Amino acid sequence: MSVLKLHPEKCTGCLRCELACSYMQTGEYQPAKSVIRVSPFEGHTSYAPYTCPQCAEGWCMTACPVGAITINAVGAKDVLDDKCVGCKLCTIACPYGTMFYDPATRKAFKCNLCGGAPACAEACPTAAITYEDVATADWLGDFAVERTARVLAEAR
Amino acid sequence: MAARHLVIGGGTAGMNAIRTIREEESERSSITLVSAERPYSRMVLPYYLDRSIAESHVFTATGKVLADWGVTAHLGKRVTALDTSASACTLDDGTTIPYDDCLIATGSSAVRAPVPGADGRGVHSFWTLDEARGVIAQIQPGSHVVMVGAGFIAFTILNSILSLGAKLTIVEIAPRILPRMIDDTGAALVQAWLKEHGVAVRTGAKVARIEDVKGRRRLKFAAGGDLVCDVVIMATGIKTNLEWLKGSPVKVNQGIVVDEYLRSSVPNVYAAGDVAEGRDLISQKAAVHAIEPTAQEHGRIVGANMAGKNVRYRGSLIINIVEVCHLDVASFGAWDDTGAEAASSVKADRPAYRKLLWRGDRLTGAIILGRSSDIWTVNDVGMLKGLVQSGVSLGRWKAYLKKNPFDVKPAFIAAKTTSTLLPETVLGRPSKAPGETPVAV
Ligand SMILES: Cc1cc2nc3c(=O)[nH]c(=O)nc-3n(C[C@H](O)[C@H](O)[C@H](O)COP(=O)(O)OP(=O)(O)OC[C@H]3O[C@@H](n4cnc5c(N)ncnc54)[C@H](O)[C@@H]3O)c2cc1C
Ligand code: SF4
Ligand code: SF4
Repeated sequence: MSVLKLHPEKCTGCLRCELACSYMQTGEYQPAKSVIRVSPFEGHTSYAPYTCPQCAEGWCMTACPVGAITINAVGAKDVLDDKCVGCKLCTIACPYGTMFYDPATRKAFKCNLCGGAPACAEACPTAAITYEDVATADWLGDFAVERTARVLAEAR
Repeated sequence: MAARHLVIGGGTAGMNAIRTIREEESERSSITLVSAERPYSRMVLPYYLDRSIAESHVFTATGKVLADWGVTAHLGKRVTALDTSASACTLDDGTTIPYDDCLIATGSSAVRAPVPGADGRGVHSFWTLDEARGVIAQIQPGSHVVMVGAGFIAFTILNSILSLGAKLTIVEIAPRILPRMIDDTGAALVQAWLKEHGVAVRTGAKVARIEDVKGRRRLKFAAGGDLVCDVVIMATGIKTNLEWLKGSPVKVNQGIVVDEYLRSSVPNVYAAGDVAEGRDLISQKAAVHAIEPTAQEHGRIVGANMAGKNVRYRGSLIINIVEVCHLDVASFGAWDDTGAEAASSVKADRPAYRKLLWRGDRLTGAIILGRSSDIWTVNDVGMLKGLVQSGVSLGRWKAYLKKNPFDVKPAFIAAKTTSTLLPETVLGRPSKAPGETPVAV
């Protein structure tokens, strides 16, 4: 299956992916409703996008008491709105912090790879997010180690 | 390999086991389910109570689905005895069912505080669908509901009661609320939040008796100060449904004692869910969690093992979340470990609190409180779970997190938590979607 490959060194922090994602997922241009989240590193001199890696276990899916999370045609874990009761169990079961909850609709939501045409990857002007047929991986770990060296030194 | 599986109890653990048997088996086996109730999820009952879902939504498998899965179901029947030497169980209608292996997943029941009047009219428990039906019929806009007990289960139905337009008073014998879910500081914040939202809380209040007065309920307290209301809900604790197992050689402690494959002291008898004393992931000690995710994991592991796999059980993490009037309250792992190193922080300007607990440089427990509308609270809840579950070594990030408990993400990412978590699965393979269970042809 294809997954979102993240290239943090290319991210400029422009947040276009968040806008595209929120519009695709909720119909609103509202970064607070995006399921891809851009975070600053090194005091806002570098940035990285972060989203659901579509993990093999699918902790969100196996935790859901009503079977409201399924695997869609492109292999992404996807919330079925009419089944979700809004109990939030998936939000604490996902150990990556990539399950979201919309208080307005009382439904959980997450990255569903836009059914195969991810809006974030399309919107990114620097190709910091690509949609590729590769195994999911920890795209940000090494980058974060390097770009947090200073803040970490100050914390001692 | 066992050809005849018997599953006793069609709740969370039992249904997860049945699905996993069908997913994992190499040859089609026979599965018999005996369950006192139709299969449904108890933790969805609060959403039935607030009428945001229809009653039919709570069921986890219809008769048709059970038939598709090739399950012979005895619903509305109870197992009354287990003869482990003959490998057979007896039902309340006298039927005997032989098995090659069997799963005990009979869950728990609500227990009422032993006060006079606790069994009277207008006094309810809220644990089963039947009990939920009883409560839903009684609450109207403007009704005054008194909840006796301020534990986790009471809090799961609190929002529903308020959203029905009822007035709510919580009465708790202990000096504080949520004793088994959050610490004193967190509890005080939640109590203040409840007061702001019009919910009265009486802690340290011992109910002496409940009387019927002209169709309403009067609660008398040991220290005086009566309370008159329309509906009383007793959320005063639960007990495992294991009375029927008395006299069998299956060893029971707090729950059924199980090995690392979730087998009981009788090798072809497994236990799962609220009745099983499985392993706690953090303490690595036997514990009865009585929560949904543990019942799911138990059920799946047992299902795989009944299907002939040899899946070892690593242990489950205690995870709990409740939303209290748009405030998220969550805790993970050993949040109450007095031997752990702890760091906490309260935000003065908004209802937000975090407590992180450490053994060495690993996070072993966490408490988190924050507004539901705050997206960072939701994400940090998951990441804290990931840090506790993976047990990654945080090295110098420990000092950072102790100073900045509200900035979890850089630590989570730079500690390469994702690399540690990605290979983790419960059954040693990718999970299947709920609709993918193989059906009989
Ligand atoms: C209102 C409410 C809210 C909850 N909210 C949460 C939550 O938010 N998060 C969370 O983690 N947990 C929650 N829980 C707890 C969760 O529902 C339980 O931990 C879970 O259901 C346990 O699963 P189980 O399979 O062990 O038992 P159950 O789901 O209780 O299933 C046991 C089954 O066995 C049957 N049975 C009992 N005795 C017999 C017998 N002798 N013969 C045959 N069948 C029998 C019962 O009828 C039932 O079908 C909540 C529970 C309630 C009631
Ligand atoms: S919030 Fe919805 S999707 Fe998540 S576990 Fe609950 S019912 Fe399932
Ligand atoms: S939301 Fe979390 S648990 Fe669900 S598939 Fe993505 S990473 Fe896995």
